[in-house]
Amino acid sequence: MATAERSRRAGYARSRTIWAYVVLTLLSVVFVAPFYWMVVTSLKTDRQIFEVTTWYPDPVMWSNYARALKFIPFARYTWNTLVICVMTMIGTVWSCSMVAYSFARIPWKGRDALFLVVLATLMLPGQVTMIPVFMIFKWLGWIGSYKPLIVPSFFGGAFFIFLLRQFFRSVPNELSESARIDGATELGIYARVILPLSKPALATVALFTFIGGWTDFMGPLLYLNDPNKYTLSLGLQQFVSQHGAEWSMLMAASTVMALPIVILYFAAQRTFVEGITLTGIKG
Amino acid sequence: MPTYTSEHLGVRLRVFFELSVVVISACAACILLSGCRTVLPASGKTEIVYWTGWSGHEFDVLQKLVDEYNNTHPDVHVRMLSVFGSYQKVRIAFAGGDTPDVCSAVWAEELAGYAMRGALTPLDGYLAKSGRSLDEWEPGIRDMVRYHDRTFGLLATVSGDFIVYNKKAFKERNLQPPTNLEEWARVNDTLTVRAKDGSYKTYGMRPNGLVLWAYIFGGHWFEPETGKITATHPKNVEALRFLQDFAKKNDIRRMEAFESTFGSMETTNGPFFVGKQLLLPTGPWIRQFLNRYAPKDLEVGAFPYPAPEGGRKMCSNISGSTWVIPAACKNKDEAWEFLEWMMRPEQNVRFCSQIGNGSGLTEVANMPVMTADPLMKLSAEISGGPNAFGPPQMPVWPAYQAAIARAEDQAVHGNHDPEVLLKQVEVKMERELKRVQREAVY
Amino acid sequence: MVNTRVSAEKRHSRIARRNLINGLLFASPWIFGFIVFTAYPLIASMYYSCSAYSGLAAPKFIGLENYVQIFTQDDMFFKSLKNTMYMVVVALPLGLIASLALAMLLNQRVKGITVYRTIYYLPSLVPAVASAILWMWLFNPEIGLFNVILKSVGVTGPAWLGDPAWAKPALVLMGLWGTGGGVIIYLAGLQDVPQSFYEAAELDGASAVSKFFNITLPMISPIIFFNLVMGIIGSFQYFTQAYIMTHGGPQDSTNFYALHLFNSAFVDWNMGYASAMAWILFVITLVCTLVVMKTSAKWVYYGGGD
Repeated sequence: MATAERSRRAGYARSRTIWAYVVLTLLSVVFVAPFYWMVVTSLKTDRQIFEVTTWYPDPVMWSNYARALKFIPFARYTWNTLVICVMTMIGTVWSCSMVAYSFARIPWKGRDALFLVVLATLMLPGQVTMIPVFMIFKWLGWIGSYKPLIVPSFFGGAFFIFLLRQFFRSVPNELSESARIDGATELGIYARVILPLSKPALATVALFTFIGGWTDFMGPLLYLNDPNKYTLSLGLQQFVSQHGAEWSMLMAASTVMALPIVILYFAAQRTFVEGITLTGIKG
Repeated sequence: MPTYTSEHLGVRLRVFFELSVVVISACAACILLSGCRTVLPASGKTEIVYWTGWSGHEFDVLQKLVDEYNNTHPDVHVRMLSVFGSYQKVRIAFAGGDTPDVCSAVWAEELAGYAMRGALTPLDGYLAKSGRSLDEWEPGIRDMVRYHDRTFGLLATVSGDFIVYNKKAFKERNLQPPTNLEEWARVNDTLTVRAKDGSYKTYGMRPNGLVLWAYIFGGHWFEPETGKITATHPKNVEALRFLQDFAKKNDIRRMEAFESTFGSMETTNGPFFVGKQLLLPTGPWIRQFLNRYAPKDLEVGAFPYPAPEGGRKMCSNISGSTWVIPAACKNKDEAWEFLEWMMRPEQNVRFCSQIGNGSGLTEVANMPVMTADPLMKLSAEISGGPNAFGPPQMPVWPAYQAAIARAEDQAVHGNHDPEVLLKQVEVKMERELKRVQREAVY
Repeated sequence: MVNTRVSAEKRHSRIARRNLINGLLFASPWIFGFIVFTAYPLIASMYYSCSAYSGLAAPKFIGLENYVQIFTQDDMFFKSLKNTMYMVVVALPLGLIASLALAMLLNQRVKGITVYRTIYYLPSLVPAVASAILWMWLFNPEIGLFNVILKSVGVTGPAWLGDPAWAKPALVLMGLWGTGGGVIIYLAGLQDVPQSFYEAAELDGASAVSKFFNITLPMISPIIFFNLVMGIIGSFQYFTQAYIMTHGGPQDSTNFYALHLFNSAFVDWNMGYASAMAWILFVITLVCTLVVMKTSAKWVYYGGGD
């Protein structure tokens, strides 16, 4: 009886798995299509670019990639962008997790009111603060350097503070309480209890921050005045002329730009292990 | 009584210490990283910062000229930067007090807006000092760069628009390039052929752009002498009615769909290249596209916009990037020297011919190298002629343009009365014009 | 007796004070950053909203004139607000459900799931300028993929981005396909649901539906709450695609509030007016968020309590 039940269950699980694969594969065609199109376009000749319906390039112009990487100072721009992205990643993860911890795990007077202020800073459209923000950086003498792009990330961003606060609040009280009973300080609980349990959330914050910095156009455009400091997103614009663009090289450069993010995404996925094991729950 | 144990104090101090260490080291890292400043020019050199809206190919052409200027002018160093067409960056720089010394990223449509508010340096004195005069430029440009009797900018390139046609298609159908609006309508009807399912076998063109067509019909949008908004000029109304009638007679949505292969990018030329679209409103830059993307056997001719009876022949809108010197510039003399040098015929001809645009200087526009290509020749005739209209010298022109476009949108896709629509535009712009007057410096 | 109660109160106030200090200390990076980088722009934009300010010369105080003009003279104000409400009411729920469904699908323990997860994230990696071209082709009424497919089953597709009635739905469709970001956040949240819960439920004979509604949803409700609030804030500021692709057309059907604001600031040279619009949007967003937060106590479950 039991074995029949078990094999019925196994069969059921197997068919569910097959269904999952079918749906996943079908949908993934839809999702991969634009990226595929971008890669295909990067390998087309000039004349073929306007034939949008040609889904495979013939001939395959690998030379577009070499041309694209030589057209702009690709290595320098990549390095510049990496510096900005890594610094903002560090700054954001560090500052937002600390601030989120305060809003999530420490009960203090005025906390929820201040959190509302944090949220409120997201509600004002950025266009009307662009000028005063610029003026602040000008007053600090930071225009032309990376500072306006990096330093603010060390002071928390409302989006990630909110995100991490939600994750931190989900950690059961028993864990921090038991640590507190064991004599841990607030910093100790933060570092040894909350952070290790929030790896997926922290990885997500790191990933989003990296992508944000990697693709940010307006920030570098406004604050950088030296082409040696340019980032990749500004570099992409150098493929665009007044009456058109170097489409094949632009797509090639865009494809190359996307690769580090894909790698980072894979790396972040490694923290996404189903069902964390919560050790130390006292029965 | 319980007091804070030294452990608590220690913890708080430690947290504070750790926080400060990280913040300080972060700032230090930033300072170190951004410390690689641009090498300042050797002492004695004045640095001139030049912002251009161009990027890509045009930027490279400019860079060669800038390098030549730097080599031939040892006590000045011009540093050029592209703003990639972002007027936001320029606007914010002006607002934040961080302007370049020379800027060619001010579009002619915006010039009056900057000029009126005192953000630019008037150039009349400099022109006279260098022995130059606005008469060197095409007549349409002279009106474009002046606001309230002062010159605020100069144009390097300008283009007259026209319509190109597929010569083979014309020959096959025994057609001649139309010389007036009636002939054009007949040609267009002949060329626009639909299949049974409604899709286009061959396609002529769709007239659009009320600003331009109003000029073609003989109207105008603004009277600088009186400062009056003339949106409801009878010829403007007639032009809008013409566009509306065309839309009604033809399946306007289908036409727009046909033309929207690449949306707002300039590269809507696909259908023309493959011989499906047989008429294309465009400008002289099409030549570079033809060279690069079109099949070798595509033979192309051009004719100016066809005018109705009593309208303006060889009519076109002209516009371009205006080269200005911001009012806050600290090295105005050196900035002017660079600007004036770029505007000399020897430099200007190299710039314009290499980027495939027409020139704003009459002398250059008539040079053999600029008129060798029949498309460039036609463009120069149009842009140098009496019916080349730049943006009117009024500080709310961008908003005016948007309102006109909206009126055209509503007339062409709906059934609204053209006169009513244009009256709404007039009322709104009169209000806008009055509103900005309180910011007037000039 | 009195002594223990008094000393209990003293202990509580001591703990409260310690918590206050710790709380402020941990939050100090944000507080400091707010003072230096955020407070001035907020106050400045509030001042601009009561000024005639072109973005060039200094602002000139004019009281509430901008606000009055917005409410009495600007027909685009209400139209653009309506357009934006469409996104809030239609795009947001669809987006939330779609990204959650996708996250559930991608949370399977099947081999190669990491590859699938990456594939679903790829759309976000295509730069905006490239994806704009692609989507305009997809939506092209003549030769675009959607209408070609529709034609093959005998349906004449609409003009999509060229039809005022279909432009917004087209943008919603486009937005759905870029849900990669929300999916990752949900996936991270789903990691926090212990397998043991599901196993225990299975032993009790719970169905998949019951497991979803009784375990999954409550456990990730903090994340749903996050996506909901951020979705509200984001939808009210919907701008980029309309700016790149449709420029507000056709016939103002995609002229969203943030686009109208942008045009007021940078085309009309009316930064003061735009600032007033911004603060009105701020109030609307704040009210909506507060409403959601008030109701959140009923359906959001925090493992960490309170």
